[in-house]
Amino acid sequence: MNCQQFQEVLPYIIESGGEGDDESHLQTCPYCASLVQDLRYIAEQAKLLLPMHDPNPRVWNKIEQSLQREGLLEGRMSPPGHIQKNSTPHQAKNWTPVGWAMALTAVIIFAVVLINYKPNQLPQTQLSAQNSSAEPAQFNSDDRLLISQLSQQAPDARGAYESSLRDVNAYISDAQQAAERDPDDATAQELLQDAYEQKEMLYQMATARSLP
Amino acid sequence: MLETMNRIQKAPRGRHALLFAAAASLTVGIGMATAQAAETRKEAKLDIAAGGALNIVNNGGSVTLRSGNVRQVLVTYVTHSEKIEVDQNASGNKERVELRTHVLPNEKPSADEAKVDYDVTVPAGISVNVSTTSAPITVDGLKGDIGLSSETGQITLHNVVKSHVRVRSMTAGVTLTDVTLSRVDLQSAGGAILLNNVTGQRVTAGTTSGNIEYRGDCSGGGDYLLTTHSGAIDVTLPPTASVDLTARSTNGPVENAFPLQEKSHNSFVPRQGRSFAGTSNSGSSSVELQSFSGKIRVKKQ
Repeated sequence: MNCQQFQEVLPYIIESGGEGDDESHLQTCPYCASLVQDLRYIAEQAKLLLPMHDPNPRVWNKIEQSLQREGLLEGRMSPPGHIQKNSTPHQAKNWTPVGWAMALTAVIIFAVVLINYKPNQLPQTQLSAQNSSAEPAQFNSDDRLLISQLSQQAPDARGAYESSLRDVNAYISDAQQAAERDPDDATAQELLQDAYEQKEMLYQMATARSLP
Repeated sequence: MLETMNRIQKAPRGRHALLFAAAASLTVGIGMATAQAAETRKEAKLDIAAGGALNIVNNGGSVTLRSGNVRQVLVTYVTHSEKIEVDQNASGNKERVELRTHVLPNEKPSADEAKVDYDVTVPAGISVNVSTTSAPITVDGLKGDIGLSSETGQITLHNVVKSHVRVRSMTAGVTLTDVTLSRVDLQSAGGAILLNNVTGQRVTAGTTSGNIEYRGDCSGGGDYLLTTHSGAIDVTLPPTASVDLTARSTNGPVENAFPLQEKSHNSFVPRQGRSFAGTSNSGSSSVELQSFSGKIRVKKQ
C-alpha cells in the first residue's frame, strides 16, 4: 500500500482503526503516521465538545421570552423537561437546540482544523521516497504523470521540474484570476498565454528528457 | 651508542618514505594515464548542403559553436569515458546533419563520464539546433536560424546578426550580447535573461520567475515584449532611444526614471505605481513590459 491508497481510506481508518495493510504502511511511513496521529487527536478533541447535559430550564424560559418579544414565536416552546408526544426520551435528551448548536460548532471547528491542517513537511529526499500523493495539490494529473515518468527516467531532474511546474502553475492560476476579474484586460490575457507557453516548454523539455 | 642506534632506526624509515613516494608517484602516473586514455579527442569534417540544418544533442559537457569561412561543418569533440559515443548522421542530400551523444548499451556512466565537449565551426547560412540538459551552450558569430535549448546549462550568444534566435531554458541563465537586426524569442522558466544590445524586428523574452534585464536602445522600429510572472524586469535605455513604451504590472511595483513624454491617448487607464506609458524621441519601437507580481524598472543609461 502506498501513501495515496492509504489516504484514500483514511476516513475509514480514523473511524474503525484500520486493518493489517494500513497498520503495516503506518509503521513504515512517518508521514502518514503523523497525519493519522494528528487527525485522531482532532477527532478526540471534537468529541469533548458534544453536549453531555441539558442546560438549566431557566435558559429555555429566557430564550422563549426573547423570541416572543421579537415576535418570532407565537406558541410555547417545549422545554427539555416537557417532552413532546412524538419524541422519545432519548431524542429529547440528546438533541436539544443547544445540543445541536454545540454539535454544529464541533463540526465547524473540526472542518476548519481539517481545512487548515498542514502536515509536517518532510525533507525532499523523504518526499521523493514517498509517492506522488505527498506532492502539493497544485499539480494536476498530467503534471503528476510527467513527474512520475521523470522520476523513473531522470530522477536527478525531478526536483527542478517539480519546482518549475509549481511556479508555472502559480503563474497560470494568477493570470487566470486576473483575466477573469477583467476579461477586457489585454495584459492579463497576454500573461495567461505566456504562462501556458512556459508550461508547454517545460512539458516539451521533460518529455524529451523522459523518452527511453 | 644511542646515536648509532638512532641512525640504524632512521635509515629504514627513510627507505620507507622513498618507497612510499615512489608508489604514490606510480599510482598518480597510472591514474593520469588512465584518465588521458579515457579522454578522447576526435575531429570530423561533415559535408552539409547550403542552407542545411545542423542538430546537436548533448546532455553534459559543453557545446561551442562559431561561424567560419568553411564549406563543411568542422567538429572537434572530447569524450571523457569509453562508456559513451558520438553518432554522426546525415540525410542523403546532406540537408540535415546530426551529432548526438549517447550512452553505449549496458553502460552506466557517471555525470562526469557522460560529458562530451563539442567545438563546432559552422558555414554561413546553416540552421543550428542545439539541445542539452546541463551542458552550457556558447554561440559566437552565427547567422541564420538558431535554436538553443537547455535545462540548466548557461546559454550565451554574441555577435549574431540578421538571424532568427529561439532559446528555451528551464533554470539556465540566458545572455545575449550584440545580437542585432534579428528576431529573438526567449523563454526561461526560472533562469535569468540578460540582453545587451539586442535589437530587431521582434524581440520577446518571457520568464516565470527569472529576472529579465535589457540594456540597449531598442532600435530598429521593432516590437519588444518582456514578460514575467514574479521575476524583475530592468530596462536601461540611452537618451537617444526612440521608443513607445508601456509598463504594466498586475500586482508588482512599477518605477520609471527615464524621461518619457506623456501620450495623449492610452489603450489602458494608467494606475499609479502599477503602470505607466510614454514616448521618447519619435517613438519608433514599441516596448511593452509586463509582469504579474515582479518589479518593473526603467532607467536612463
